[in-house]
Amino acid sequence: MGDNYYEAGNISYPCASWAPILGFSGCVFAVVFANIGGAYGTAKAGQGIMAMGIRSPELLMKNIIPVVMAGVLGIYGLIVAVILNGKMMPPQNGTGASVYSQYAGFAHLGAGLCCGLSSLASGLAIGIAADAGTRAIGAQAAMAASWKKMGFTGDAGGQVNSTGDALFVGTVLIQVFAGNLGLYGLISALILSQMDYSCEQN
Amino acid sequence: MADSTCTSEFCNAGWAEILTHMSPYGYANFGIAFGLGLSVVGAAWGIWLTGASLVGAAVKAPRIRSKNLISVIFCEATAIYGVIMAIILANKVKKPDEATYFLDEDWDFPGFYYAGYGMFSAGLSVGLTNIASGVSVGIAGSSCAIADAQDPSLFVKILIVEIFASALGIFGIIVGIIQSNSCTFPIAPLE
Repeated sequence: MGDNYYEAGNISYPCASWAPILGFSGCVFAVVFANIGGAYGTAKAGQGIMAMGIRSPELLMKNIIPVVMAGVLGIYGLIVAVILNGKMMPPQNGTGASVYSQYAGFAHLGAGLCCGLSSLASGLAIGIAADAGTRAIGAQAAMAASWKKMGFTGDAGGQVNSTGDALFVGTVLIQVFAGNLGLYGLISALILSQMDYSCEQN
Repeated sequence: MADSTCTSEFCNAGWAEILTHMSPYGYANFGIAFGLGLSVVGAAWGIWLTGASLVGAAVKAPRIRSKNLISVIFCEATAIYGVIMAIILANKVKKPDEATYFLDEDWDFPGFYYAGYGMFSAGLSVGLTNIASGVSVGIAGSSCAIADAQDPSLFVKILIVEIFASALGIFGIIVGIIQSNSCTFPIAPLE
C-alpha cells in the first residue's frame, strides 16, 4: 500500500473502499422499485376485482391473473438483488484490501436501476389496465344480465345472452404485454450483472 | 491525478471523499433507523387504509368486524419485518475491543466501510419495500372489507390478493438479510 492509500479521493485505485455502496445501492434499487411496482399493480387490480366481484362472484377467480403478474414483478427484483449480492465480495480478511471494483460497482448499480425502474413501470401498467379490464368485465356481465331480464333473446348486433370470452382474453393480452416490460428490465439487469472486475490478492 | 482536480478546501475531490468521510457507524445506524421507521410507516399506512374501510363497511354489516381484523394483522406483519431487521442489524454493530484514541493503519478500513454500507442498504431495502407492501395490503384489505360487507363468500377470494401483496414485504426482508450477512465490523487490528 502506498503513502496515500487512505486518501479517499484517489480514483486510480479500481477497488476503492467506497465501491461497495454502489453495488449495495443496486440491490436496494432493484428490490425497492420492483416491489413498489408490484404493490401498485396488486392494489389497483384488487380494487377492480372487488368492484367486479361484488356483482359477479363467479368471475372472480379467473381475474386473479393480473394480481399474480404483479407479484411476479416483485420476484424479478428479488432475483436481481440476490444475484448482485452474490457478486459482492467483502474485503479479504488477511490483508484488508478491497476486492470489489468501481467498474463492477457502477455496473451493478445500473443493473439494479434497470430492473427496478422497469418493474415499477410494468407494475403501474398492469395495475391500471387490470383495474379497467376487470371493471369492464363486470359491467359487461351486468349489462348482459339486465338485457336478459328485459327479454332480449336475439343477437341484436352483438353478444346479448352470452358475453363470450373476448373481453377477458383482451384483458389478459394487455397484462402479458405490460408484464413484458418488467422482463426487458430483468434481461438487461442480468446482462449488466455479468460485468465483473475484482482485484485478486496473491 | 487529473490537473483539473479542485484542490481548494471548499470542494470535494469526488464521490469518494463524500462517501468515505461519513462514519460507517453512522451509515449502519441510519440503516437500522430507516429499516424500522419506514417499515412502521408502511404498516401504519396500511392499517389506517384498511381500518377506515372496515369500520365504514361495518356500519351496515357489523358481522364483518372480527373476520376482517386479519387484514390489520397482515399490515402489522410488515412492521414486524422491520423489527426483525433492526434487531439483526443492531447485533452486528460492534465496537473495537480495546479503547484506543486513534485507529492505526493496520486496521481493516475497507471492512468498516463495507459493513457500514451493507447495513445501510439492508435497512433501506426492508424499509422502503415495507412502505410499498404496507400500502398495498391496506388497499387490498379495504377492498376485502367492502366486498365482505356485500357478500360473505367474497372474503376468502379477495384475501388471496392481500396475500400476494404481503409477499412483497417478505422479498424485502430476504434481500435485507442476505445483504447484511457478510457485513461485520472489525473489532481488532489485522494481524
